[in-house]
Amino acid sequence: MNTSARTRPASARPNLTAYAFLAPVAILVMLFFIIPALLVIYISMTDLATANFTSDVAQMTFIGLKNYETLFKDPFAHKIFFNTVFYVLVTLSLFNVGGALVVSLLTAHINRRAGFFFRALWLLPRLMTSTVYILMWERMVADPPFGILNQLFDVAGYDSVAFNTNHVWTFVILVNGIIGISFGMIIFTSAIESISKDIMNASLVDGSTSMQRIRYVILPLMRWPLLFVLSYQTLSLLTSYEEILLFTNGGPGVYQTEVWALTAFHRALSNYFGNAQWGYGSAFAVVLVIVGIILAVLYLRIFRFRELVSEPKIENL
Amino acid sequence: MVKVLRLLLVASLMLSGIAVAAQEDVTITVRCAANIAGGEGWRCDNFAAVEEQVEQELGINITLNLIQDNKAWADYKTEFVLAAEAGEAPDIVLSGHEDIGAWAAAGLIMPLDELIAQHEEFADVVPNLWASQTYDGVIYGIPQDAEARPIFYSKLLLADLGWSDEEIESLPERVRTGEFTFEDMLATAEEAVAEGVVEPGKGYFHRWGNGFDWLPYYLGNGGEIMTEDGQLVFDQDAALAAYELIGSFVKRGVTPETMIGTESSAIYAEFAPADNVMFYQGGTWQWADWARNYVADLGGNDYLLENVGLMLFPAMNDGVPLSLTHPLSYMISSGSEHPDVAIALLAAVTTPDANNRHAIDSFHLGILTTQVESEAYAADPVLSGAHYMLDYTRFAPNTPFYSAWSNAYWAGIQAAHTGTPAEEAVELAVTQLQNELGDQIVIR
Repeated sequence: MNTSARTRPASARPNLTAYAFLAPVAILVMLFFIIPALLVIYISMTDLATANFTSDVAQMTFIGLKNYETLFKDPFAHKIFFNTVFYVLVTLSLFNVGGALVVSLLTAHINRRAGFFFRALWLLPRLMTSTVYILMWERMVADPPFGILNQLFDVAGYDSVAFNTNHVWTFVILVNGIIGISFGMIIFTSAIESISKDIMNASLVDGSTSMQRIRYVILPLMRWPLLFVLSYQTLSLLTSYEEILLFTNGGPGVYQTEVWALTAFHRALSNYFGNAQWGYGSAFAVVLVIVGIILAVLYLRIFRFRELVSEPKIENL
Repeated sequence: MVKVLRLLLVASLMLSGIAVAAQEDVTITVRCAANIAGGEGWRCDNFAAVEEQVEQELGINITLNLIQDNKAWADYKTEFVLAAEAGEAPDIVLSGHEDIGAWAAAGLIMPLDELIAQHEEFADVVPNLWASQTYDGVIYGIPQDAEARPIFYSKLLLADLGWSDEEIESLPERVRTGEFTFEDMLATAEEAVAEGVVEPGKGYFHRWGNGFDWLPYYLGNGGEIMTEDGQLVFDQDAALAAYELIGSFVKRGVTPETMIGTESSAIYAEFAPADNVMFYQGGTWQWADWARNYVADLGGNDYLLENVGLMLFPAMNDGVPLSLTHPLSYMISSGSEHPDVAIALLAAVTTPDANNRHAIDSFHLGILTTQVESEAYAADPVLSGAHYMLDYTRFAPNTPFYSAWSNAYWAGIQAAHTGTPAEEAVELAVTQLQNELGDQIVIR
């Protein structure tokens, strides 16, 4: 009896402290994610458009799942969906995760200063504002007589190439991927640097080659950062549209480089002829949130998140 | 006596000071979108030019807050809607007439019939322009400018093809009378490619992206967007003819496969010197841009006058030539606290003097009947020469549903241009229209 009376306050105190520390973040998440998300879900069930625009939720006309029905019947929805899958998979594997891993491994295996220099170079696109960055790309790939690449082709005696129209996906992926590498590169490099020297030296003593050391020592120890970068960058790419908007605005051709997040933006916030469809655009955004949550759960399961965050076995001895 | 005079002087000064102080101070914000380098800055700057005159007329002190830039239209329009909802809309906003449908329905802009009646300047507006400013029988906008979207042709290349001077100079008239049709134009472009006068794909350039410029293909084939009683329609036969025509450009070798998506600056650089491309579908305002920024070293305006001509869209299946105009409109925000001052300012810029500044600098057509007769306008051969096109011009309807209609029509155009059979392109457009507009549209 006495024991329980003594232990109760002791167990409650750390919880209260933890909750107190978490409270500011919880309030922020509530204010800037949960409430807006609920609002977007509600707006997606209204016919809100420029022609009946109001910020008063009570005045919006509730139409149930009509926007979702329209969305799933949209003759271009499947094209936009597969564009998004293609864009995320290719950019992720070639750049945001794959490219970042290669850059980290290479720069970790060369002279430390040289490694630092090359990593700094990869950070430059991230440091630039999107508009300037895209303007540079646009000048590079512009049609003759303006494009730098085409001017070089001309000097070399080759025919000009319509990069903007015939190779547009290549450049959309390059533009996004080159920015995307830096995030994974920083995380992976710090993960590689933090691997115990003893383990690295042991592998050398055992006679492993560089490739064997990467395959059997480094990569298995990087499961946590890999999970983090993979899931974070997948969600990030799924919702990113800024560079595509500036670079191609979803074209050329019929929704050729239109991705799901860009459609949500186009429908809800940007319409060349006016009358933006806020309700319909919100339905696109909600689908994106649902897909993102499903993918996040899948990643956590595939990478056995519970094991990764469980207490080290040594603590149980 | 001196004291009395002094007292009188001080008293009169004080009274005049009180009179000045009693003048009402009014702040008017005007928001305009303009390509200032292309000579469109008068859209907002004209208000500064007439400010003093309106102050004297109304006996008030006006502080003008002019906000003008070249923001993308889509963002510009969203900005106004959000500002209006936040109670921070400008008093006067300039935008495309097509916004009247959605903005009037949402109550963001003010009906103007009664205000217009207070100022005689508005009686001078070219009568058929008012239809573009009307929604549901009520006027919501004041025309700011108009233009023709003609087809430009290279006189140099037509001469290379063997046309006589007389044939070249009479081309606009032959188009106007229906003698020279759209098919004749494409055949000429084809011949120019075959004869080596132009490179393959440089016979006919059209617009590079979405926009109003695609409407002539549909309208010229008998299409209708909205009936007189306001019913939105999509005419499958007209769309089929339009898509077949658009799809034929690349197949006939007169238009490059990559035309949609090509930068406008690249198109201008090709066409403006008049020695590369035979025909180009554009807008009158582009002339000002070309003269200043593309052929300035060749002689600018004089060079263009000598080597480039402009004509109506030649007749297609319905046998009537046409042009398209997209009047921009000044609208008064519903939240404006001083609509009487706003309309007085609008009346002051709706005069031949004020509008000529904009029209001549930016090569937009005049919007006033007397403007056409004014010395400055008449002295400009391009503007006065193209003014007749306003009689043949058509424009998009003011309805909140136009954007859905246009986006579906545009999807079909892109499909047809990239080789999809015209029938499938029509089906694609119809599916999208029915999905998004349901009962709001009649497919026929």
